[in-house]
Amino acid sequence: MAVDAKQLAAERAARLKAAVELKEPDRVPFTGIGGDVIAAYAGITSYEFNFDYEKQCQAIIKYVKDFPSDQPVIGMTGLGNHVASMAFSDYPDLYPIISRVDGPTNDILGVDYCRFPGRELDENSSPQFIGREYMSAEEYDELIADPVKFCFEKILPRIVRAFRDMKAPEAHAAMARLALEKAKAGAAMRDMFRQLQELGYAPGGLSVFFAPLDFIGDQLRDIPNLIKDLRRYPDKVKAATEAVLEPLLKVSVNAKGPGVETAMIPLHLNEYLSPALYNEFYWPTLKEGILRLAELGMKSQVFFEGRHDAHLETILELPAGWGTAYFEKTDVRKAKKLLQGHTCIMGGIDVGMVISSTPAKLDEYIKEILGEMMPGGGFILAPNIGNLPRETPIENIRAVYEAVEKYGKY
Amino acid sequence: MVSPEMQKLAQERAARMQAAIELKEPDRVPFTGLGGDIVAAYAGITAYEFEFDFEKNRQAAIKWLKDFPADSPVGGIGGLDNLAMSVAFVDFPDLANQFFMVNGPMNDVLNMKFARFPGRQLDEYSSRQFIGGKNMEPEEYDELIADPVKFSYEKILPRIAGNLADLGSPTSLATMARLGMVKAQQAAEMRKTGAALAELGYPTGGGSTFAFAPLDYIGDHLRDLPNLVLDIRRYPDKVKAAAEAILEVLVKWTLQGKAAGAVQAGFPLHLNEYLSPKLYREFYWPTLKEYILRLREEGMRSRLFCEGWHDAHLDTFLELPAGWGIAAFEKTDVRKAKKVLAGHTCISGGIDVGVVISGTPAEIDEYIKRLLGDMMPGGGFILGPNVGNLPRNTPIENVAAVYEAVEKYGKY
Amino acid sequence: MREELLKSFVDMDEQEAVRIARELVESDGGAVAVLETCKEAMEEVGRLFEAGEYFLSELIAAGDMFNQIMEFTLPKLQGDEVASIGTMVLGTVQGDVHNIGKDIFKVMAEASGINVIDIGIDVPHEKFVEAIKEHKPELVGMCCLITLGVDSMKRTIEVIKEAGLRDDIKIIIGGGRVSQAVMEHVGADAWADDAARGVRLSKELLGKE
Repeated sequence: MAVDAKQLAAERAARLKAAVELKEPDRVPFTGIGGDVIAAYAGITSYEFNFDYEKQCQAIIKYVKDFPSDQPVIGMTGLGNHVASMAFSDYPDLYPIISRVDGPTNDILGVDYCRFPGRELDENSSPQFIGREYMSAEEYDELIADPVKFCFEKILPRIVRAFRDMKAPEAHAAMARLALEKAKAGAAMRDMFRQLQELGYAPGGLSVFFAPLDFIGDQLRDIPNLIKDLRRYPDKVKAATEAVLEPLLKVSVNAKGPGVETAMIPLHLNEYLSPALYNEFYWPTLKEGILRLAELGMKSQVFFEGRHDAHLETILELPAGWGTAYFEKTDVRKAKKLLQGHTCIMGGIDVGMVISSTPAKLDEYIKEILGEMMPGGGFILAPNIGNLPRETPIENIRAVYEAVEKYGKY
Repeated sequence: MVSPEMQKLAQERAARMQAAIELKEPDRVPFTGLGGDIVAAYAGITAYEFEFDFEKNRQAAIKWLKDFPADSPVGGIGGLDNLAMSVAFVDFPDLANQFFMVNGPMNDVLNMKFARFPGRQLDEYSSRQFIGGKNMEPEEYDELIADPVKFSYEKILPRIAGNLADLGSPTSLATMARLGMVKAQQAAEMRKTGAALAELGYPTGGGSTFAFAPLDYIGDHLRDLPNLVLDIRRYPDKVKAAAEAILEVLVKWTLQGKAAGAVQAGFPLHLNEYLSPKLYREFYWPTLKEYILRLREEGMRSRLFCEGWHDAHLDTFLELPAGWGIAAFEKTDVRKAKKVLAGHTCISGGIDVGVVISGTPAEIDEYIKRLLGDMMPGGGFILGPNVGNLPRNTPIENVAAVYEAVEKYGKY
Repeated sequence: MREELLKSFVDMDEQEAVRIARELVESDGGAVAVLETCKEAMEEVGRLFEAGEYFLSELIAAGDMFNQIMEFTLPKLQGDEVASIGTMVLGTVQGDVHNIGKDIFKVMAEASGINVIDIGIDVPHEKFVEAIKEHKPELVGMCCLITLGVDSMKRTIEVIKEAGLRDDIKIIIGGGRVSQAVMEHVGADAWADDAARGVRLSKELLGKE
């Protein structure tokens, strides 16, 4: 890495770190905005972006070069395979190859909930997660008794076609093929990360953690069933969230690469729950998880999907400086009123605006957000959701970056 | 980029070998070179480093080949034959061959019962060793005959691979993933080694894959050799039926190597010297012969390494069409073989490793001179050591004497 | 019956040989007759091997028959009826973990009346020395299959010399890669690359033939 690239990387990292520490950096840290538009910008299909490592890396580099921000914008390169991560949580070296399913690895595994462009979907669609019920209500006791064993023996065969019979040669061959395929991807990735370093981005990444109830809702029972379970088998659901907490933390440790200090926690069930249910079933183990991650040397970055307004106050139960609250539909201004000086706030750019507005309006929009959110520090500017569709007007994207440049100085 | 001189050298070397295989006289006698444990010793590294560290292995091989160039390269990370695993995964053509040679790092993942590696189960200066073992009961012949692939996968693999003992467990699946990781790393290393060899003027591509006499699969991997020779007397029909069932699977496997670019199949024979001509012809040779002919139909030549004494079975080669391939000998005198096989079979070998270990340079010069004088005329001869491994303490002046003598007396 | 046993044994008729031996061993003095006949048969098998009529598979099969028959014969013999013609310490040398050649040789050597002390595979040099001190053998047999064993045999013999024991014993080396040249190189007294030759030479070294 050239000296100026190194310096640039250090500046960017310092900017993000200052915000997390609730301070005012030199400029507002900006995560950048991207998604499916990265492939479109490079003139390739989403299918190519998801199945051709070299084209994917080239597209990312092109985008990052033209739209620099404080974090590289990678886009959506696959779906999490969280049951596999848990099933193999005692094998940390396997995490890099089993934790995510991308196009080629899904061809090997055949994951029930995955839909990929150019396969099940149109070649310009995004990869999609279509979960369903993989565990019956009668199996709670088994889950509670040993979540890792249960996920391995019962859930994996139901989710992964290649693991339908775990004893079979097909399952064993799939594991070897997975590793060989990931090595191919790894070669392209290493090259991309080297180029990113030259562009002034520090190597790193995020660890990951899930609210225990989300793990049960998204990966095992499916949300509509889980909502019913909360009323029908409240004690079992609670016991299950407690049982999965430890292995989920183990997965977070497995996911923590060298130098990684942040764990991403994407919430899902939060907006489905009343404060009463949230506080009884969801929050206790999520809170415990955040506190435990802190003990493990990781600050949390919680993505509060949908509207989190009803649960905002629970965040104050965490110690000040615990991490970052990333909002989708909850107004960041409203969140700031409550959380200033306690929690770093992230988000602010409504992706809908970027898709449908004009450069002039976007300039005004960003100016306003920054004017309200920057003072006092503790703010990271980001899109409210990670994915800009392919058709997003490039001039709108450029307008956002230019406005951040214009109005983002402290 | 490989220089034009080196490309030319590679072509000359390949042509030399090819001429001998085609029973002709090349410009010089093709020489496979000497190697083995001595390559590591010459580079000042342990056998453990040579077997586990690709970079050190490559540097050692390059150093050796620079000082002792021959018509085919030596070196590279070697391994032990893990045929049962290739058979078990024969329906996965992208994988079956990758599992065949278990080298040190692969064995760290698999923990094969038959394997001993330096710096692990053995002293760090020792050679890797295959110790075999009994992994199948005589009562299981019917199962083996019914479906050799299923039987090898379900029954044998768990018995021979410590970390696949419980198929379907997290450990067995993790082991396969780890094996894939190791293989991916090694593939990258092999490409580097291949490039380094090309720069030294060694041919790339058109390589060799493996093949085994069906009965050797039973003897080496399933029943253990002493048991198999008793089985031949006790359950002759079952042994025969098993050899036939295995033949189909092994041919399929070897042809996967062809699909990956191999033009030759190397058969390391093992049970050959244990058998009387009568037993050899009844149990060993029919499926071996069929195998060679089937490969030939597919355009592949075979190379049979006849371990030990093969004198009693020499004439069986004549049942094969002339120009079928190469017979390499260990203890059988190549002169004697030549009398039977000249004009029909390319002969390989000739240098008794014992002489290289314990002779003097002057004796070796004389020895090679006589050998070449007897063997070169008429062509169809590839000079090589009778076994592949020179021990670490082999005097280097003796090695040099061999190469100098080949240089001196090897011109046609 | 001794004739029949000898014939079926040498002809590799396992079932018949074992059947006759079982019958014979029950008769008066039968155990000694079985032992002697089987030794004679083993010797004949060895001769046939050296003549090129029999191969390793016959040596293995004969060894297996011998062991099967001895299992029910030896318990019926008195100590002095199992006379030994000498003692041999036998092992595969350090660094080599193969046992097949050693095991084939061992049963044939025992059948010829040699008391074999098997000290195993991958035997450290010092362990040979200790075994020589403990068992005071007339003979030491060293095996190796791989070429690495050549160095190892040489060192083992040097260590035996340093311990001052070399003159008390005769050393025979055996295995797939040994030869006259290797024998001279390592400083042994005899060499054999097959079990039958090994047993014949061992008996010669013991002055028994």
